[in-house]
Amino acid sequence: MTTLRPDPLTTSTFRERARAQLAKPFLREAVPKATDHAVAALRTRFADHDYEALRELGRAIRAEAIADLDRHLADLEQALVANGVRVHHAADAGAARDLIRGIVRDAGGRTVVKVKSMATEEIDLNPALAADGVRVVETDLGEYVVQLDGDRPSHIIAPIIHKTRGEVRESLSRAVGRELPDDAAALTGVARAQLRDAFMEADVGISGANFGVADTGTICLVTNEGNGRMCTSLPRVHIALMGVERVVPRMTDLAVLLPLLTGAGTGQLVTSYVNLLSGPRRPGEPDGPEEMHVVLLDNGRRALRGTPYEEVLHCIRCGACQNVCPVYRQVGGHAYGWVYGGPIGAVLTPLFRGQRDGGELSQATSLCGACDDVCPVKIPLHDLLLSLRRDRAAAGVAPRGERIAARLWSWAWAHPATYRLSVRLARAASLPARHPAVARRLPLAGRWAAGRTLPRPARRPYHRRLR
Amino acid sequence: MTAAPDPALLARIAPTELRPGEDPVTRFVREARLVQTAVEVTTRDRLAAAVTEALRAEGARRVAVAADLAPLRYEMAARLREAGIEAVRYEDVAPDRDAVRDLDATVTGCMAAVAATGSIVTGGAAGRGGALVAPVHVCVVERSRLFDGLLALLRALPDLGAASAIALQTGPSRTADIEKTLILGMHGPKAVHVVVVVDAPATPAP
Amino acid sequence: MATEPVLFPTCLGDIVMPEAVRHAVVTLRACGVAPRPVRNATCCGQPGYNAGHHDEARRVARRTLRVLDRTDGDVIVPAGSCAAMMRLHWRELFAGTRDERAAVRVGRRVRELSTVLADRVDVVAARGLAWPGRAGYHDSCHMLRELRIAVEPRALLGHVRDLELVPLSSSERCCGFGGTFSVRYPEVSVAMADSKLDDARQAGVDVLVSADPGCLMQLGGRATRRGDGPRVVHLATLLWEAGLR
Repeated sequence: MTTLRPDPLTTSTFRERARAQLAKPFLREAVPKATDHAVAALRTRFADHDYEALRELGRAIRAEAIADLDRHLADLEQALVANGVRVHHAADAGAARDLIRGIVRDAGGRTVVKVKSMATEEIDLNPALAADGVRVVETDLGEYVVQLDGDRPSHIIAPIIHKTRGEVRESLSRAVGRELPDDAAALTGVARAQLRDAFMEADVGISGANFGVADTGTICLVTNEGNGRMCTSLPRVHIALMGVERVVPRMTDLAVLLPLLTGAGTGQLVTSYVNLLSGPRRPGEPDGPEEMHVVLLDNGRRALRGTPYEEVLHCIRCGACQNVCPVYRQVGGHAYGWVYGGPIGAVLTPLFRGQRDGGELSQATSLCGACDDVCPVKIPLHDLLLSLRRDRAAAGVAPRGERIAARLWSWAWAHPATYRLSVRLARAASLPARHPAVARRLPLAGRWAAGRTLPRPARRPYHRRLR
Repeated sequence: MTAAPDPALLARIAPTELRPGEDPVTRFVREARLVQTAVEVTTRDRLAAAVTEALRAEGARRVAVAADLAPLRYEMAARLREAGIEAVRYEDVAPDRDAVRDLDATVTGCMAAVAATGSIVTGGAAGRGGALVAPVHVCVVERSRLFDGLLALLRALPDLGAASAIALQTGPSRTADIEKTLILGMHGPKAVHVVVVVDAPATPAP
Repeated sequence: MATEPVLFPTCLGDIVMPEAVRHAVVTLRACGVAPRPVRNATCCGQPGYNAGHHDEARRVARRTLRVLDRTDGDVIVPAGSCAAMMRLHWRELFAGTRDERAAVRVGRRVRELSTVLADRVDVVAARGLAWPGRAGYHDSCHMLRELRIAVEPRALLGHVRDLELVPLSSSERCCGFGGTFSVRYPEVSVAMADSKLDDARQAGVDVLVSADPGCLMQLGGRATRRGDGPRVVHLATLLWEAGLR
C-alpha cells in the first residue's frame, strides 16, 4: 500500500510511539476522563435494558451480513442504482482514491466538504485530492482541527480526544488570523462560521457510511453535529465511501444496530442526526445533490472471509473497545501508528497492513479482555489478538531476541530439573540485580526493573519445601 | 439466516423502543427534553399561537416555513406580522445560499416522530436543509404521526412516501469535541422547538 | 473411589511467592480441604501461549499436564490467569496432539483457589476471622472475564471482621502485567500499574488484595518502587493473616 503521508508504522515501534504519548500530560488526563465518561454513559444507557440480549441480536445481524456478503452487496447495489445512485467498486486504497478523484474532477469540484470518515482516513484521501488542487475541508469540529494541525484523529468517534482546549484555540486562532478566547463555546462558534462558508462554497460532499441498507438502497450516516446532513444537502454532488463490510440486509436491522452503535459509542439513545440517504434529490424536493455516488471499498476486507479473522468484519466502528482499553487509556490512538487505535486497531492493522508492518500491534495489548465484554456486536477481539500473535510467531517476523528467549524458556521449563536450575541461576543473578543500576542493564529483567522492583526468586522456592 | 427483529423482543431489550403500556406522548416529551428540545403539547386551535410564541421566544425576525406546513403558513401570517416576524417560503430561499444564511429560523412539519427516542423525522417535501440551516428550528408534530419506537418507524418508512433523504433528528446539533464540553448548535440549529398537536384537549405536559 | 485434591503452585507462586502458596495450602486445610501440592509440574505455558509461541508453550505445559493427569481430584490453582489458561486454553493448545484428551480431562478438574474456599464459606464464617484495616480487591483480568470469578473473593473478604472492603472504581481494570507485555512495553505497563495504585491510594486502602501472582508481582513491584503505595498481597495471605489457619 502506498501512503502519501509519513507512515509511523514502518518508521517507529509501538514502544517508541507509546513513550512519546506517555510524555503528554494532557493526554494522560484527558483520555481517561473522556473514555471513563463514555463507559459510564454506556452503562447508564443500558442500566434498565438488556444489553446482552441486544448485542446478541446485533451479532446475529452482522454475522448474517458477512456470511453472505456478496449477495447482500449485490442487493445493495441493485437497490442503490434503482434509487438513482451511481455505484463504484474499489479493490484497494489506490483504486478508491482514483475513483473519487475522478468523480470530483468530472463534477468540476473545487471545494470538497467532508464528513468524518475512518474509511477516507484509511485510503488517505485528503492529500490525494489536495494534490489535484482541490480544497478539502473536514467539517466535523474535531476533524477540522486535526486537519488544521496536519494531525491524525486519535479516536474513532472523538478525533481530538488528545487535544486541550488551549491547543484547539491556537489552531483556530491561526486559521482565522486573530487571537480567539479560551472558551469552548466561542471556539465552536468560530469554527461554525468558518465551516458554514465552506458548506456554501462546496461543490462536492464526501462522507463515509455507517451502514449500507441492502433492501432499500440507503446509506445511513450518523452524526451529532449535523455536518453529515449539511454535506449531503448543499453540495451538488455527494460521494459516500463505504467499506464493503458495512452492508446490512434490512432497514429494520437498524432498530438493533443504531442503539448499539450510539449506546456503545457515546451512551446516547440516538445521535442528534441519523441520515438515511437513498439517492439524489428527487422531483418536488427543494434541495439535495444532483448526483450521489457510492464507492464500495474492499481494501483487504473480502479476503478476511473464511479466515479466523472473519468476525472483525462485524465491527460497526463505535469506539467502545477503545474506551474500555487500559492500554489505549494510557497512550491514546496515535501510539498505534495507523488509522485505527485501541483493540480494534490492534486487530485491523496487522490484517490490513500485513504482519511485517502491522504485526507488532497484536502485542500492544495486555490481553485483559475488557474489549470482548463491551463490543456491541460481540467480536471476540481477545481471541483474534491471540490468533494474530500466533500467526506472527509462525510467520517468523517476531524479533530474533524474542524467538531465542521463547526457545530457551521452552527448553528449560519443559523439565523439572532444568526448571529448578533456572530458578537457582535466577536467584544467584538476583543478588547483584538488587542494585537498580545493575538491574537496568540486564536483558529482560532490565525492562522490568526500569519502573518496578525486581521480584527476587525465593531462597526456598515452594518445590524445595516439598522434599 | 436470521429474520427481521421481533418487535416484542426488541421492546423488552432495546432502549429505543416503547415499553408495553407506556404513553407515547409522555415518553416523547420526556426524551425530547432530555436532549435539550423545547416541547409543547397543544391542540390544533392553539397551534399557530404556539409556533409564533416559540419563534418570538428565540427572537427570530426572518423565518422560512417549509412546504409541508403550507396551510399553517397562511393561518400564522397575521400573528407573525404582529410579532414583527418576516416569513418566507423555504422552497423560495432554498436555492439562494445567501438568503438561507440570513434566516433566523425555519419552521417545518415532519414526516414522523418517534416517542421512545424523542426524535423527529424530517425530509421529503420539507427538504434536507429545511430543518438544519438556521440557528432555530421549530417543528410541528402531528400526534397521528408519532410512532412508538425506532422499529415501528423503520418498518413504516416505505409507507411514509418516497424521499431521497430523511433524517431522524434528536435535539439540537451538538458537539463535545473540545474537552468533552457539550456545545449546542455546531452546524445545525442550537435550539429546537417541537410542538405536538393532539386533537383531544391536551393533557398538560409535566 | 475417593479422589485427592492437588494444588499446583504455578511458576510464579513457586518461585517468587512461595509464602502465598503455603498460605493457600494452610487456608484450604483450615476449611477441611487437604490438597497435596504437586511436584515436578513447572508452568502452565501461558507466557509463551499468550505471546503466540504455541510450540514452545506446548512443550512447557505438556510436562505440567502429564504430571497433573496422573492425579485424580480437583486441581486447585492459586492463580486466576493460570487457572483460566488450564481450564480454557489448554484444549486449544493441545488440539490435534496426543495430549488433547488429557488437556480436556485435566482442564475440567481445574479450580481457582477462591472458588474452592468460597464453597466452604460457612467454615470461613465460623472461624471468626479478623483483620483490621481497609482493603481493596483487584480483579485479575482472566479470572474475572474468562472464569467469571468476582463474587467469591469478595465474599470471603466479607467474612473478615474489622476489614473494610473498599470498592475501587479501577478494580476491574488491568494492572498492566499481561505476561510478556510487561517487559515488551515497560513504560505503558508501569503507567497502567500507576493508575491502579493512584486509585487505591485515593481510596485510602491499606492493602490491595488479589488472587493472581502475576498481578501481585506487577502491582507489588511498582508499589515498592514508588514507596507510597498500599501493601499488595495474595488473597490467601490476607485470609491467613486474618486467622484462617
